[in-house]
Amino acid sequence: MSVLAALEGMDRLSGGEVLIAQNVAFGVLALAMVAAALRMVTTRNVVHAALYLVVVLAGVAGMFILLGAEFVGVTQVLVYIGAIVVLFLFGIMLTKGSFGEDDGVTGERRLVAGLVGLLVFGVMAAALVESFEDAELSRSGPSTTAELADSIFSDYIVPFEAVSVLLLAALIGAIVVARRD
Amino acid sequence: MAHDLLTLAFQRPAIDWHGIAPELVLLSMGALITLVDILFLEKARPYTAGLAGLGLLATAVPLLTLAVDGADRVMFSGAYVIDDFSLIMKAVFLLAGYVVVLLSTNYVAEGDYWENEYYGLLLASVMGMVMMASARDLVSIFVALELLSIPAYLLVAWRKRDLHSTEAGLKYYLMGVFASAVMLYGMSLLYGVTGSTLLSEVGAGVAAAGTSTAVVTMGIVFVVVGFAFKVSAVPFHTWAPDVYEGAPTPITAFLSVASKAAGFVALLALVFVGFYSRSEVWEPLIWVLAALSMTVGNLIALRQTNVVRLMAYSGVAQTGFMIAPLAVAGHGLANGDQALSATVTYLVIYTAMNLGAFAVIISLARRTGSADVTSFAGAFHFAPGLTIAMTVFLFSLAGIPPLGGWFAKFEVFRVLATAGEPWGYVLAAVGAVNSVIALYYYAALARRMWADDPLHGDRNPVPMTPSLASALVLCGVVTLAFGVAPQLVARFTDVSLLALGG
Repeated sequence: MSVLAALEGMDRLSGGEVLIAQNVAFGVLALAMVAAALRMVTTRNVVHAALYLVVVLAGVAGMFILLGAEFVGVTQVLVYIGAIVVLFLFGIMLTKGSFGEDDGVTGERRLVAGLVGLLVFGVMAAALVESFEDAELSRSGPSTTAELADSIFSDYIVPFEAVSVLLLAALIGAIVVARRD
Repeated sequence: MAHDLLTLAFQRPAIDWHGIAPELVLLSMGALITLVDILFLEKARPYTAGLAGLGLLATAVPLLTLAVDGADRVMFSGAYVIDDFSLIMKAVFLLAGYVVVLLSTNYVAEGDYWENEYYGLLLASVMGMVMMASARDLVSIFVALELLSIPAYLLVAWRKRDLHSTEAGLKYYLMGVFASAVMLYGMSLLYGVTGSTLLSEVGAGVAAAGTSTAVVTMGIVFVVVGFAFKVSAVPFHTWAPDVYEGAPTPITAFLSVASKAAGFVALLALVFVGFYSRSEVWEPLIWVLAALSMTVGNLIALRQTNVVRLMAYSGVAQTGFMIAPLAVAGHGLANGDQALSATVTYLVIYTAMNLGAFAVIISLARRTGSADVTSFAGAFHFAPGLTIAMTVFLFSLAGIPPLGGWFAKFEVFRVLATAGEPWGYVLAAVGAVNSVIALYYYAALARRMWADDPLHGDRNPVPMTPSLASALVLCGVVTLAFGVAPQLVARFTDVSLLALGG
């Protein structure tokens, strides 16, 4: 009972109505993501790090689905897990040398990096808690994929077209820089 | 679900075709260059540079008709705006791009680099800048930033056979994406607080009394830091010297003016339209960036023995001057508009004089293949014309009348001194001290070119090319004209963002 009482305050989506399933799902996802993220930066094996990244990104996809943004959630799985992490793995396997164990990070750097990370985390957490502590999210209903498509092809048409130029330029440039001549 | 889809009738967006004609012309020219390469292969090589230059000039035509038309155009409920500010900046980007094409023509052809793709990427980057000048929306600004940056990362690594170039490309890329990530996080915070990506609505949301100070502050700081990287302000300048040295020199010129100006355009739009009501957050931040950039940039520049590295640190210091008016821009609308005009004026003049200096560096490097200070010694004996031109550009950068640079610096000092704020006077004093330091190393380089003996007594003339000569003449005439008749540039840079931001 005490767990549910603590959860009661968490759900602001429905203004008082507690969606236990959502809250439990959020808790599970968040815990898994934090654990995987920590392992990702502490593991000494780059392949393992890439695989832990998969867990984190899958968690993000889960969060999007919990928020009702199913298109972004599916895109997250397709693009990040399906393409980018696989590309990471290919990259690791094609470039010899750093495959497997790697201890290039010295203790001193680790300490500084940890301190900076903790500082940023502290400041961000304090700022976010202070701002959104008792904020109510208005429940405007999940955004459907159709609405998303509608706004991409109307209000955001210029950036959308620019992205296609960007991808073409990146493709051409990457081929030139990477090819052997 | 099915009836949802049916009721959701798609509204065709109202597009002002005249308004986005410059972008469309640029896009079609870029496509044409790629197509010509596919169709004619090697036969098209000699014409690519000319085609790219022509494309940039053709883009200026719709820009002129828009300027003649004169009306402000607002598209997509304020996400894309064509006003005086965006027109003058678009013109700067196109002309800078054109001069870079002139500088590249022989460099790329003789260096046996990938030529067609080079110009395609250059046009893509210019297109990102042209879009940036109109973007008044977080998404558009971010996409424009990536469109101008990603081709630039690749172009920096274009000298594939040189490890320095590869290293420079990798450094620039890693630092660039890191800065983009920080900036994007800041944008997401601002979106989270205000619920809109439109800068005008972000501005209204940020100004609203109930908005949390902590998150808005974090958002503004992160976004400003992201652009501080782009414009190479201290302490986010560390990439500049290595990247400038390793990149193909025409691309260095491109980064030092166009890319920097694009960063400034976005910064100005964000500060004046988005964050204006929170001047207590961004004024001190920009003050520190300005003071540090001027001082650190100039002090390190004193010790440089490579002219390109010297120009990199001098560029960092110049960034300090450009950003300085913003440190007092939050004191009333009239003051803000003056600060905006001062920064835009500085950008316009800096573009001309810095491109000119790089044109001389590229010309002289054609003879010795090096940008070391020693290879500039005694340049007067073998290249008197170039030496005179370089002296003009260096003294203009230092801010000596009657060259363009003095008017740019004068405007900055005027804004700082008339703000009536103690911090403004302090920054003006810092700027004054730095002008003297800068004069020292600019004059030292000029003295070396005039007075010293050439290295190994080598007096062979510099092999000039028509395109380099025209780039030099173009930059020289503009630098002189803006210095002698500053009202010329002042007429165009008298712009305002605040009226529109609301």
